[in-house]
Amino acid sequence: MKGMKKLIVVLVVAGFLAGLMAAPSVYSADKIRFGISVPLTGIFGKAGKLVLDSYKIWAKKMNSKGGILIKGKRYPVELVYYDDKSNPGVSAKLVEKLITDDKVDLLLGGYGSSLVFAASAIAEKYKYPMISGGASSNKLFERGFKYYFATLGKATEEVRGCVEMLKELKPKPKTVAIVGADILFTSLACEGFKKYSKEAGFKIVHFELFPMRLQDYNSMLMKVKKKNPDVLLVGSHTLVAIKTVKAMKEIDFSPKATAFSYGPTVPDFVKSVGKLGEYVFAASEWTPNLPYKGPVFGSAADFDKTYFKEYNRHPDYVEAAVAAAAVTQQIALEQLGLQPPFNETKREALMKKLHAIDIKTFYGEVRFGKDGANVAHPPVAVQIQKGKVINVFPKEVRQAAPIYPMPTWKKR
Amino acid sequence: MLMQSIITGLLLGGIYAAYSAGFSLIFGVMGVVNIAHGELVMLGAFTSYWLYTLAHIDPFVSIPLSAVSLFIIGYVIQRLIINRVVDAPPIMSYICTFGIHLIISNLALRFWTADYRSITTPYCGSNLECAGMVLPYARLATFGMAILMVGGLYLFLSRTDIGRAIRATAQDREMSRLMGVRANHVYAITFGLGAAITGVSGSLISSYFVIYPQMGLSYTVTAFCVVVLGGMGYIPGALLGGLILGVLESLTATFWNAGMSSTLTFFVLFLMLIFRPAGITGKGIVE
Repeated sequence: MKGMKKLIVVLVVAGFLAGLMAAPSVYSADKIRFGISVPLTGIFGKAGKLVLDSYKIWAKKMNSKGGILIKGKRYPVELVYYDDKSNPGVSAKLVEKLITDDKVDLLLGGYGSSLVFAASAIAEKYKYPMISGGASSNKLFERGFKYYFATLGKATEEVRGCVEMLKELKPKPKTVAIVGADILFTSLACEGFKKYSKEAGFKIVHFELFPMRLQDYNSMLMKVKKKNPDVLLVGSHTLVAIKTVKAMKEIDFSPKATAFSYGPTVPDFVKSVGKLGEYVFAASEWTPNLPYKGPVFGSAADFDKTYFKEYNRHPDYVEAAVAAAAVTQQIALEQLGLQPPFNETKREALMKKLHAIDIKTFYGEVRFGKDGANVAHPPVAVQIQKGKVINVFPKEVRQAAPIYPMPTWKKR
Repeated sequence: MLMQSIITGLLLGGIYAAYSAGFSLIFGVMGVVNIAHGELVMLGAFTSYWLYTLAHIDPFVSIPLSAVSLFIIGYVIQRLIINRVVDAPPIMSYICTFGIHLIISNLALRFWTADYRSITTPYCGSNLECAGMVLPYARLATFGMAILMVGGLYLFLSRTDIGRAIRATAQDREMSRLMGVRANHVYAITFGLGAAITGVSGSLISSYFVIYPQMGLSYTVTAFCVVVLGGMGYIPGALLGGLILGVLESLTATFWNAGMSSTLTFFVLFLMLIFRPAGITGKGIVE
């Protein structure tokens, strides 16, 4: 009898183990599952939601055709996503969970440099390629990673278009003041502003980084106002951009131009500041009028139309970059003919392919440098004119000439 | 430049005082450090925001509505939740109000999303220019309201029956109960009153600050600094603390840098707690 009991125990344990090992097989090989850790709450919650929307529209587009076409067979797309609450630690944990627990086939990038920084380290560890469209801090590219890519340019490069546009203005501005929040992305934008301002021959009369939690900007900007710069350059997120514009009006600070690294292109900006937002410049990487086209979404204008139809709002460049990231990974899969199920060898092949890829999409050309940053993409500058985001740079494709100098507050 | 910086600081101090007075009142009477204080500012600001966006009611006109609705919210929160932990050790009320903070901010996030919002009225940002100095009207109005609220609260507490009942309960709960004061009711009224003036401050800031569901905590932290500086529970201290902090931050931001202004705030908080826990006036409550 004792032997019998032992046998039962052994059988139960064996059965349990077999069950565990068999578990992954419930995930069928007829579809491709993409894992995403994305902020849906917290400081990046708003932007993270846009990123997710952009992935959803890509998935919907692919699934309407039956899925991604690989070697003559269609594989539907499934998105598996979690809210990382704008917390890098949580983001890293979730990516690990997606890989080890949910056993997703591939990953898509999240949003926010600090979050993606943590998430991509886990992706690198498990050898999962990750293309982000929502993070651009330079240090993401300085880790010697092989599996991390970005469709955006580096944060310091993003503001280049803005400064080059300013350089061509007549009369050419002479002095600039640079301020920005001291978090990673915005402080890098300030570094970029500084670097390109020097190259453009502008004199930098003021440079200051302030904490994100600074409640009131009046005193700080009052100081900048006294230095009377021709141009105010701001390393910003949406919140910083809104607060800056409101404070400028309150203290009656009217430089000849104001440019933001990020913010004014987000619909919230014009919605919350209304007419105060007129004439401000902003860095951008993409606008719907650019003459780009490619597979999946068609032209830049087509992407805009598809997006508007789905969400009743126009996409910002980050949303375009995110969709482009998904498209790039998809095209690499198609070209390689890699079918699920995926394993380390296949993912390594995908990584190598991405390093070599050079494709044209609705977002523009995508070609990754050795460090994973997109090197093919030209910087763009926009201006808010009559409440709309208008492309003003590069000159060859602009929708309207930049308005400069902007009227003072008193003359508006 | 120096004058302008001081004036900007005084106006900022008025804002601080406006949203800190309620914090001080609630602490003074109940001994509860209300961690959900910033959420009351947020709710006041959103009341004005929605009335402006949906019904085009000017934020200054919506102030009474904001006060009434926040009074009700405050009264109910106190009656249903905080009342149960008033007599418990302070840690219980921290945990309890921290929970309320999480619940309110996450509900707001659920219903209103994480969007950054702001009321931009046609006259928004207009200012008075006087002797080469710039004084934004909306902030002048906030400054005036801060003085009115602190003064009104002071008079209310010292001259009316309910005010006396509130002070009596604050001094000795058991004794005032023996004298026929309904302590629970008094507490709820106090909390409602504190919430109401905080809601008013939320309406006031809605036209020049950015509002979003998770804005609350930084307001709670600043209110805490202001109140420690002026004396915990001593109402006029909120005005004094607010003005000192406002000017200090403004001068630092103007003549040093903006990053240091927050650092200095906490440094002052630290020094006060060590050397002068009863606040600059020495009239705060120290346990």
